[in-house]
Amino acid sequence: MLAVKRIFASYYAEADFPIPGLEQREFGIGNVKKIDARHLNFANATELRRYLCSNTPMFVSHSTAYYEFPGATPIQKKQWKGADLVFDLDIHSEGRYGAYAKLEAVKEEVVRLVDDFIINDFGVGKEDVIIVFSGNRGYHIHVRDKAFLDLGGDERRELVDYIMGQGLDYLDFFGLSDSKPQKLLGPRPDEGGYRGRMARGVLKLLEDNPTALSRKYADQKEREFFISGIKEGNWSRTFLKFDELKKRLKIVADSLPIHSVNTDVGVTQDLSKLIRVPNSIHGETGLVAKIIDDIKAFDPWKDAVLENQNKNQNPKQKTENPSGIGSASEPGNEMKVKFIEDVPQLTLGNDTVGPFKKDEMKELPQRFALLFVCKDSAVLI
Amino acid sequence: MAEGLDFSVRYPFSESAKKHIQGMAPDERIVELAVERVKKALKGESSARMLLHDTEKMEEIASFAAARMMLGHLHNNFLTSRFAVNESKRARGYLDRDGDAAVDEVASRFGIATKGEGDRLAVDLPTYLRYSLRNPDYRLINMRILHGTVEIKRSQKLRLIEEAVRQHVEDIPLVKDPPDIIKQAAKKLLAEIPKNESRIIIKAGDHPPCVMKMLESARKHENLPHHARWYLATYLTAIGMGEEAIVKVFEDLPDFNEKVTKYQVSHIRKKEYSVPSCATIMTYGLCCAVCGIGHPLNWHTLTDDRKGVIRK
Repeated sequence: MLAVKRIFASYYAEADFPIPGLEQREFGIGNVKKIDARHLNFANATELRRYLCSNTPMFVSHSTAYYEFPGATPIQKKQWKGADLVFDLDIHSEGRYGAYAKLEAVKEEVVRLVDDFIINDFGVGKEDVIIVFSGNRGYHIHVRDKAFLDLGGDERRELVDYIMGQGLDYLDFFGLSDSKPQKLLGPRPDEGGYRGRMARGVLKLLEDNPTALSRKYADQKEREFFISGIKEGNWSRTFLKFDELKKRLKIVADSLPIHSVNTDVGVTQDLSKLIRVPNSIHGETGLVAKIIDDIKAFDPWKDAVLENQNKNQNPKQKTENPSGIGSASEPGNEMKVKFIEDVPQLTLGNDTVGPFKKDEMKELPQRFALLFVCKDSAVLI
Repeated sequence: MAEGLDFSVRYPFSESAKKHIQGMAPDERIVELAVERVKKALKGESSARMLLHDTEKMEEIASFAAARMMLGHLHNNFLTSRFAVNESKRARGYLDRDGDAAVDEVASRFGIATKGEGDRLAVDLPTYLRYSLRNPDYRLINMRILHGTVEIKRSQKLRLIEEAVRQHVEDIPLVKDPPDIIKQAAKKLLAEIPKNESRIIIKAGDHPPCVMKMLESARKHENLPHHARWYLATYLTAIGMGEEAIVKVFEDLPDFNEKVTKYQVSHIRKKEYSVPSCATIMTYGLCCAVCGIGHPLNWHTLTDDRKGVIRK
């Protein structure tokens, strides 16, 4: 691992750590496990950087909480002052390599969570939300809006339940009019919360894929008549029987919550949780837990790999190779590994690698070599 | 000033109440009233008295402050949480009758500001989360929320204030060295705590995490929402606990009423109400772990290893 750590350290020498309240946070580091030691604290980013360069752990995380005395033990003595609201979205998948092909799918949920729930429903300003690649199988969303910092665990849990649609019963949104029992009343698109989301979801379905609701909605007139009603909260302008309509709306209701929120480890509701330091390296992949500007364009195998970091400081790396020789294989970034177990063929970003057999020796681009070494599937030779 | 004084009597935790009794030292009469106030809270009775003169009103306000001093000195969860529940219910009684101006003045004490009128009021989300109940009528999922505000009815606003009062009264700073008169009276209060510490002994893993959490809350004399009590009672009935033992569990709750509890527990048994499923418990907002058992009673079919994994 020494060679790996040397690569990590050279990244850390120039890494940027824009962590608000860094000096009020507890840090944890890990080599064997993700957290072997905690209760560390640093006065500023320079101190943290120096520590990471000289000790270079495989994992480093910081508390979502702000403390008066972040290094004090036991935890009661730290004096909790508040904590970022953090959501962990990730992929559950089979095997150690199963998640990477599905990372793209989580992005759609990240966008919905941030735009639709955090900004629109919760009223958090865009500037108080950062999206961070977890460095492995998902994304972390850090909310640093002051109004939410002092919420307790139960209250955070309520927000998670809301986002995940726990206890959502969309049938409750509909009811017959008291004065006209033949009239079905329901949510309007301009309403807040799940009611409005439901109405907007149905309108979108009628625009994008009307026949999913009924084949007859291929007819523009039928469709527009129904839509004009929904906009006013009148759901009766349909040829479908009300009970049948409500049943068919389930496909929309099911698509409204965010499904990939990870609640197993209590990331959101645990007030003393340590979370991967943004812009630090994930020791199980060798990828950087990058702070993301444009989630839609983000590609971990391009944007989070170590050989593409610190480029501003090393403009030379960007210059083209005039001879053209070896430009595809990125000269100087190849590493030789020996596999110690079989690895199936993997699609990582735009590349397909493997399969590899046990005892096979191979020269690979640094990012893939690091991945297999960090995953204990191969050793550097 | 007279009206201001009446406001302070109704809401003795308010800033105006504080001003009214500034500089007053607790005397025998005030301390006597304070002890009475806490005793009434233990029985869940109203402490309302006929108050004719301003001096009586002042004493009434001061009795609240003196009671808090005693409780701050004793730092006993049982006494404090019962007192807090009773005081919040007392305040609620006045809120129900008071006009918007008084309600808003009390609300502002806890940072609860609403916009709008009648039954379409908007309150900001963090405040709502802090003071709302974990029951279906207040679950965020069933609310209209937009740009950081939650739409509530007037009655819901009053309930938020009631909870804010409870949290505020419960949060009593430790009073290390109060005047002697307070110390002596506080000792008297200790004698009021029921001596039934012989509880059913529960080991970790005996029950699903949500049940354990409720039992733990009850043991710490914390308040439990209605649905939690219902679930707990049906659950304990289903695992074969006797009625008396179940009532004992509820005895720790800050607003325990023996008669009502006995009736309800036996009612649940007679009617054979079933234990709610995990899905229902989720809608109650009481689920606190990922057991994947579908129904709480399935907990008892799990292996100890599996229970251990879930408890982590």
